[in-house]
Amino acid sequence: MRLPHREGERIDRSRVVTFSFEGDRVEAFPGDTIGSALYAAGRRVFSRSFKYHRPRGLLCCSGACPNCMMAVDRRPNVRVCVEPVREGARVRAQNVLGSLDRDFLSVVDKVGGPFTPVGFYYRTMIRPRRLWPYYERFLRNVAGLGRLDQHARRSRRFDTEHRRAEVLVVGGGRAGVDAARAAARDGLQVVLVDEREVTPIEGVEVLTPARAIGVYEGGLVPVDAGDVLYRFRAERIVIAAGAIEQPLIFPGNDLVGVMLPEGVRRLVRDFSVKPGEAAMVVSADAAGLEVGEDLRAAGVEVAETIDLRDRQPRELFAHGRRGRVRSVVVDGRETVCDLLVMSGGRQPAYSLLAQAGARVEYDSSRGILVPRELPAGVEAVGTVAGELEPAAVPAESYGGDGRCFLCICEDVTEKDVKRAIAEGFDSIELAKRYTTVTMGPCQGRLCHVPSIRLFAREHETDAGSIGTTTARPPWAPVSLGVLAGRGHEPAKRTSIHHRHKELGATMMWTGMWRRPHSYGDPEGEARHVHEALGLIDVSTLGKLLVAGPDAAAFLEMLYPNRFADLKVGRIRYGVLQTDAGRIMDDGTIGRIGEDHFYVTTTSTGADTVIEWFEWWNAVWRMDVEIVNLTGALCAVNAAGPRARELLGRLTDVDVSNEGIRYLDAKEAHVAGVPCLILRIGFVGELGYELHFPSPYGEYLWDTLLERGADLDIRPFGLEPQRILRLEKMHILVGQDTDSESNVLAAGMPWIAKLDKDDFVGKWALEQVGERGFREQLVGFEMANGTVPLEGGQIVVDGRPGGRVTSARLSPHLGRTIGMAWVPPALAEEDTEIRIKVDGRLEPARIRLKPFFDPDGERLRS
Amino acid sequence: MSDLGFLSPDRARAGVGFEPWFASPLARALAGQTAVRDLSGLGKIEVRGDVEAIDVDAEVVRITPRRALVLCDYERRADLVERLPGMAIDMTGALAGLELVGERATRRLTDLDLEALPAAGKVAEVPAIVLRDGDSFRIFFPQEYGHYLAEVVVDAAEGFR
Repeated sequence: MRLPHREGERIDRSRVVTFSFEGDRVEAFPGDTIGSALYAAGRRVFSRSFKYHRPRGLLCCSGACPNCMMAVDRRPNVRVCVEPVREGARVRAQNVLGSLDRDFLSVVDKVGGPFTPVGFYYRTMIRPRRLWPYYERFLRNVAGLGRLDQHARRSRRFDTEHRRAEVLVVGGGRAGVDAARAAARDGLQVVLVDEREVTPIEGVEVLTPARAIGVYEGGLVPVDAGDVLYRFRAERIVIAAGAIEQPLIFPGNDLVGVMLPEGVRRLVRDFSVKPGEAAMVVSADAAGLEVGEDLRAAGVEVAETIDLRDRQPRELFAHGRRGRVRSVVVDGRETVCDLLVMSGGRQPAYSLLAQAGARVEYDSSRGILVPRELPAGVEAVGTVAGELEPAAVPAESYGGDGRCFLCICEDVTEKDVKRAIAEGFDSIELAKRYTTVTMGPCQGRLCHVPSIRLFAREHETDAGSIGTTTARPPWAPVSLGVLAGRGHEPAKRTSIHHRHKELGATMMWTGMWRRPHSYGDPEGEARHVHEALGLIDVSTLGKLLVAGPDAAAFLEMLYPNRFADLKVGRIRYGVLQTDAGRIMDDGTIGRIGEDHFYVTTTSTGADTVIEWFEWWNAVWRMDVEIVNLTGALCAVNAAGPRARELLGRLTDVDVSNEGIRYLDAKEAHVAGVPCLILRIGFVGELGYELHFPSPYGEYLWDTLLERGADLDIRPFGLEPQRILRLEKMHILVGQDTDSESNVLAAGMPWIAKLDKDDFVGKWALEQVGERGFREQLVGFEMANGTVPLEGGQIVVDGRPGGRVTSARLSPHLGRTIGMAWVPPALAEEDTEIRIKVDGRLEPARIRLKPFFDPDGERLRS
Repeated sequence: MSDLGFLSPDRARAGVGFEPWFASPLARALAGQTAVRDLSGLGKIEVRGDVEAIDVDAEVVRITPRRALVLCDYERRADLVERLPGMAIDMTGALAGLELVGERATRRLTDLDLEALPAAGKVAEVPAIVLRDGDSFRIFFPQEYGHYLAEVVVDAAEGFR
């Protein structure tokens, strides 16, 4: 029921906001929370408890407890007591089968009690073992809180904002505001964050609603502001998080109608809602008792007030009907009421301080945990520092009929804790994990101190000797969206990328690059390169300039083959290896000047190779500059028997076989664009790689396709290129080799010039040469048309004897070809091997020479 | 000896039936919006060597004691490459650039200290050099990330509308 207008209320009665709850229309005012509006509309049951499905109502109205969690616009676990109303919001109950008022799963509460003590699922559902999958399915279905909408799409933009602050104040209560104001007066840059609205403070940036969720090393404080996670780096952190009212532990303490004073205060003062008709107040401190004034002002009859500082009752319990408070019994005297306001005093919200490194100590005289020995740069002000008015230490639990709930998040009772201790969980950390006390949504806000006291009583020891559990982030619940932030998935695209898409290419990831897999017909595209002319975007190749007086000597040391004798204008294939003689990358090296080498690497190996070069340059201190040109240059390969004719139309240099020989590097203008032309044959046909400034990517691609139209030029993708290179038995590093492969075993002994003074991996390679190797990389050809899987097994004498690294049906050859690692004894031309394909052993023959154009005549023609 | 002419977009020649045109890697992602300006067409020259000796009338961003980036108008690159000390490499095609107005949007993209720019760091996970001019931020980064980063920047800027 809504009270008449009151001074200081936070609602604006001039307008009405409507939302729906379980499909019914609910009216509210701007300034209301969904929880206050529902309460005003008469709703008392807000949720069903985690395990027993007991009805639960508003308790704290401060976002601390789990009692009002609902799904708002399909977002689960929203605490509606602090969630502002929004026009049109759709609110639904969660964790119920049926409705909030009639939840069929509450049968667990009626009959399950004796069978479902703490840890029951560890003991009762393990036998017979074969039934476990059914138990598990059932448990997973009923456990957990809320359901995620699996079909939800991005509805909001989540961001992470990097901020710096000279002073960051967490908490906008009186102490926090005073601290912020003082720091601002000293001329410091101050930011204050609070979950509730704070009146503007001069010279202070106030962020609300925003919650600090942790304190990390280096003064890092993440602050959750709904759609944005602020990552604050603060020079000084002032924690003014306040204190949290603690519930009393007595039978019936979870009934609907049992509330904390702050909950009542907010309902009355902020939202002008009458919380009940008749109330009883039991409190350990004056702040709790003061709520009597609010109740009376709201027209609630205060039937009885008990100040625990004056007397501690032997017996205190609440009677309920249908889960709601009907009466409260204190030392045999029953008081009829529908509202029981209780407080066991306030506990400093020290968690952020503990995360920052403060020590936490139990103050036996006051029965609270207080932070001590704050680390440098961290301050505590106000009640969080333990500056609290005198309060009584409440009993660990009060006697009476019924269950005492110690943890309302996880439905853990006093009896559960006793049982855990009896079972041997004798440290607070172990008992926490077994009983899950403090592990629920409130994260110990309402159960940590009561559980320590109870633990001490059961151990017949002082609570000070029990210790505390570790405070960990997040201190406040945080959505996964805020934690994830913006989904960064950096993708590298060549400057021709969009043309490929316009041509209908299927794109694929290769490392961070997006590349065309094919343009719809990989086999046809591969065949076309042999028969006419193909064009492929190879801009993803790593491209390095190695320049300087020592450039030749530098490469001579890095590669196992020779580069000092490479003539200007010529290209040589090179394999990079690690110190341990393992293949790490391959590519071509063109000498474009006496002191200038143009090095290409594999598409995914570029960054590693650059680091490798820079590392050795630092070690050897040579006069060499290494420049990464990967993105600076676009590269395309025009390959096929008609490639020369096309190039001849676009440049005025001599493109004859004498003008640009196989493995020549030449600079020339092609269609008006400055190019480095590399005549290379990765795909086995006459081909020219054109390397040119990236901004001309689309222009030159378009021009090549236009001017080659009558030559039937067609673009081809990565998949056809893989077929073509396999026909030539050109290896793909990482596909045909792994981290153990070396050039000797990979069938490239000619590349290792062991007579050179030294090169990276030389010693290791010599060892390999002396000791021999267990496997050798060879080609193979299937006897029939089957295509083994890459990674497929080669079977020798009934045992695994090798593996397939690449296999494709070559449309040009009409046969299945591949590469594989086999024992050296089998590495002879025409040896028959057997490869497992779909469970059958299929025959294949070893091939040591390229399948296509074995002598390279077409490459050189 | 190569003069690395194949690195320089301005060496392109029109005529004899060809009209070369160049495109920015950000063109598609920035089409139809005004929050972000494309700076990819600026001249960018990397200098290796004694960067203290650089004495040209252009913006010089020091990256390391031996590396610097010189920013200039597109037309001036050829001239500057000749006049700069050490090894000067035309990186115009290598780096994309964009200008974003707004400190908060920039803070959502990078953890660099915006009070201590220019600096090199990551912008939306991409290695970049960030320069500041009041409330305007210029970001230079490898062009192959251009489309991705431009999309992210535009989306972040839209978050403030």
